[in-house]
Amino acid sequence: MEEKADASESDAADPDPFPEPSRAPLGLIRRPSVPPPARKRYRRQPSFSLAGLAILVSSLIAATPVWAGALEQVRRTGRLLYGSDMEGGGPYAYPDPGSPRGVTGFEVELMRLLAGDLGAVPVFSQGQWDKLLQVLDSGRIDLVINGYEWTEPRARDYLATRPYYVYQLQVMVRRGSAVRCWADLKRPRPDGGRWTVGVLVGSAAETFARENGGSSVEVVRFDGATDAMTAVQNGQYDVTLQDLPAARFYAARFPGLESVGPPESHGYYVIFVRQQDAALRDALDKSLAGLIASGALRMLYERYGIWTEAQNELARFTGPIQPVASQQEPRGWPLVRHYGSRLLDAARVTVTLSVTSMPLAMVLGLFIAIGRLYGPTPVRILLSGYVELIRGTPLMLQLFVLFYLLKLPPWVAGIAGLAINYSAYEAEIYRAGLQAIPAGQMEAALALGMSRAMALRRVIVPQAVRIVIPPVTNDFIALFKDTSVCSVITLVELTKEYSILANSTGGAIEFALAAATLYMVMSVPLSWFSRWSERRLGISSAKGGAWA
Amino acid sequence: MIEVIDLVKRHGAVEVLRGVSLSIARGEVAAVIGPSGSGKSTFLRCLNGLERFQSGWVTIDGLRFGAGVHPVDWNRIHRAVCRRVGMVFQSFNLFPHRTALENVMEGPLFVLGLDRDLAEERARRLLDRVGLSDRLSALPRALSGGQQQRVAIARALAMEPQAILFDEPTSALDPRMTAEVLAVMTDLAGDGLTMVVVTHAMSFARRVAHTVHVFGDGRVIESGPPAQIFEEPHEEATRALLATVLAA
Repeated sequence: MEEKADASESDAADPDPFPEPSRAPLGLIRRPSVPPPARKRYRRQPSFSLAGLAILVSSLIAATPVWAGALEQVRRTGRLLYGSDMEGGGPYAYPDPGSPRGVTGFEVELMRLLAGDLGAVPVFSQGQWDKLLQVLDSGRIDLVINGYEWTEPRARDYLATRPYYVYQLQVMVRRGSAVRCWADLKRPRPDGGRWTVGVLVGSAAETFARENGGSSVEVVRFDGATDAMTAVQNGQYDVTLQDLPAARFYAARFPGLESVGPPESHGYYVIFVRQQDAALRDALDKSLAGLIASGALRMLYERYGIWTEAQNELARFTGPIQPVASQQEPRGWPLVRHYGSRLLDAARVTVTLSVTSMPLAMVLGLFIAIGRLYGPTPVRILLSGYVELIRGTPLMLQLFVLFYLLKLPPWVAGIAGLAINYSAYEAEIYRAGLQAIPAGQMEAALALGMSRAMALRRVIVPQAVRIVIPPVTNDFIALFKDTSVCSVITLVELTKEYSILANSTGGAIEFALAAATLYMVMSVPLSWFSRWSERRLGISSAKGGAWA
Repeated sequence: MIEVIDLVKRHGAVEVLRGVSLSIARGEVAAVIGPSGSGKSTFLRCLNGLERFQSGWVTIDGLRFGAGVHPVDWNRIHRAVCRRVGMVFQSFNLFPHRTALENVMEGPLFVLGLDRDLAEERARRLLDRVGLSDRLSALPRALSGGQQQRVAIARALAMEPQAILFDEPTSALDPRMTAEVLAVMTDLAGDGLTMVVVTHAMSFARRVAHTVHVFGDGRVIESGPPAQIFEEPHEEATRALLATVLAA
């Protein structure tokens, strides 16, 4: 420890041992002679994520009037809180196989070293990967370390440490695939279609695939890195482009995949802290420099099998990467206008998913309800089993089954998944509606000589439908928003697109408002339609009981 | 026309009908009277197969069905019986989402497969006959109870049945509306329609019925022409029933 501290001390004293890096990454390496002054005001950027209002609330509560500085607080409490995501997180941070309640990974171990230098205990804080910076804003964690690449927009809003890993991208294909390297994708696909490339949504791989894919490549965005590997191993897609550590780590778990070609691209994993926490950043830099100089970092990476020649570059860095000041992306409403078409595209996905799946769910639900009420006993048992199974399991798992096990194409899986999931709920609504029709109605129909089926069709169902309009509309609106779960099977709808834009551009509040407005614009007409049909079918004018 | 032999109906352990036998001739108006819980309504519902029974036989217009019939055949027979025999309920049971005219057209259109024009023509004629030609497009909830029951009668008539079963058709109505409905029923009786009427309206039974069947405790206690039943009943139970009903 002593030694490392010394090393970094001397490093700091000597401003620039490598004044001209042989390879200036992104052309941005600058080392300011003095650390940039910390901003006085604590800049909060609360998350307006539709899914994460809780974060907003807690951030408001957590906001303290006087900011003491994260480093000071770490020293005082002896705890260094870092944000990371265990989900599909190998080798960065993942559930410890040795102690299933614990967490391990090269970043976890790195944090142990870094926190030790600060005289603190590292505390792992689980967050959704693409929301970690928003959690950082909320003040609940001190830093984010989770394979976050240095990017221009991030560097504008947060302070980055010097890189702790030089990442590259690895092409992974199904064993025996004709694709042997990234360049192979430039050629048109033999069947005339486009190569499908699975990437982690919002990752550097996505950006790289978009910018270097050209017209022969279709980028498919996944919520988790391993999901993309599963899909490629299944043969659903051609290629997945992965950060090299993940590719190495998961190679054993995906025997059907192989890594091909030389690593592509080049970028830096850095630790992000809040703008005003320059002191913490400097302390981390010092500590990192020590680990690099002493070879401890290399040993760690070799243990995880992720050391590459490119890592030699780490030692050449002497300070944080600074953004080029002049390049200013638009902010506020111009930002929303700029990306508006993407939001609209995503809204179209949302609408398409819901208006195709809901009618299916309603029809399916009606038959299930009729079967449960009027069918023979085996059918009743079967259908109530179906309803319990579907209601009792999360939509996301059902989508996984359809997509990864049955290997349905994403749109088919998405629509079928939503339809099946909601059919169980609709069935129960219809059952209640059907049971609300007095028994005399069925008797009157039968007494007219109708068959049971005709009595249902002509007499019972038309009345039940009127009763269930309000709850079904309710479910329609709920389904509308549940389409967001389809992002786990690569369908990027409005919520996901919001999340992507908010994270890649920093316009969290603007995009949240824009997305919320779009949702409103889409769901309000639904409510109108529902009220209109209720009036038309004459429920609201009935006084004292539906048909009194 | 209607012949019932030894009908037994049980709800679990409770024996509702304990061997009912009676016959009703074509064109006959039969009134079924008796205290509440004596099995009158259940009897009526067994006649058109709305309820199954445990033993005995029912023959309607040559169609014979019994307790042992297989469920699949039962449904078929039940439908065939319902095409021959209409039913009017105590609570009307009109289809609330359809107008008076549509209620009456429903059977001819969808069960008999009649042409729409023909069905509508028939429905208009029947609604006119029950005095509702001015309420054709009213929904049931806009009609009074008496009007609803008259629509229900027209609905049953639209199937051109061999007989109509009336299940306490006026029990849910006030005296004025009762009178409206009974007037229509009297009119039908005059036309020679076979009618089985479960009723508490003794004056109607006395005036219109050809035969009165007195039910008590799941059996037919006594049957006979109204004059005999009301003036000189043979059975003590009949006397007791009439005493309470007429005193009320």
